[in-house]
Amino acid sequence: MPPIERYITDATLEVFSTMIFIDISPGEPLKGQDDGIDSNLTSMIGLAGDLQGVLAVHCPEKAALGITGAMLGMEVTAIDDDVRDAIGEIANMVAGGLKVALAENDIAIELAIPTTVLGKAVRTSGQAGVSRFIVPFGSPVGDFGIELKYVLH
Amino acid sequence: MAKNVLLVDDSSTMRKIVTRSLRQAGLDFGDIFEAGDGLEALEVLEKEAVDIVLSDINMPNMNGIEFLREKSGRDGIKDIPVFMISTETGDDIIGEAKSLGAVGALKKPFTPDKVNEVLGPFM
Repeated sequence: MPPIERYITDATLEVFSTMIFIDISPGEPLKGQDDGIDSNLTSMIGLAGDLQGVLAVHCPEKAALGITGAMLGMEVTAIDDDVRDAIGEIANMVAGGLKVALAENDIAIELAIPTTVLGKAVRTSGQAGVSRFIVPFGSPVGDFGIELKYVLH
Repeated sequence: MAKNVLLVDDSSTMRKIVTRSLRQAGLDFGDIFEAGDGLEALEVLEKEAVDIVLSDINMPNMNGIEFLREKSGRDGIKDIPVFMISTETGDDIIGEAKSLGAVGALKKPFTPDKVNEVLGPFM
């Protein structure tokens, strides 16, 4: 099985190329416990089943506004319900892509409903022994990151 | 003749994105109605002339599966074709939807070309 980081990268690239129409470029996954992405808005989705954990999309305000504007085909100037909804939908679709990829390796997961929180320095935490990485992405509207914190059974 | 569409999704942003994809798909769509869950969708179907329904699965109040089950028992609307739109692609959930009358599925994310491919035969 390829590294899970690759599944996250591939699923994110597919979402942005098919429904958002922004060229994004993935960076090397960050694996240190203190590595993070500056963020004003984080959308999280819980994962259950053979792989348990949380997938989180971390966006600085500029990137969140730019991504939402591209998704809706209009200028978005402030974080509102549309922005929270849009970033939540990205979390949902990336998690869906991860679910499909893992299913091909006989790893079954279920997805919860995305939750979006506003605020700087949001950090997810989990029990000891969990694996964690963030895949950073560059884009014309700013950098953002997708984090996976998980335990594989 | 242009086909009227009903989009059922609890995310207003997703409804806007799907509307955009429909308009870019090169198919002859007329009015595009919206509903936030299965209950609202049933109300729209009873009032408006809808030709095709695109429905999410995971929604509050009445989800896509419950919507299909309820719709299949209503004479005036039971034959309107429904396509599921979801990140859920498991054979079990789509199989259940099809057993309740869904005629196809679009996996998110999707392109306007995919909309054309899936919905084109029903236009």
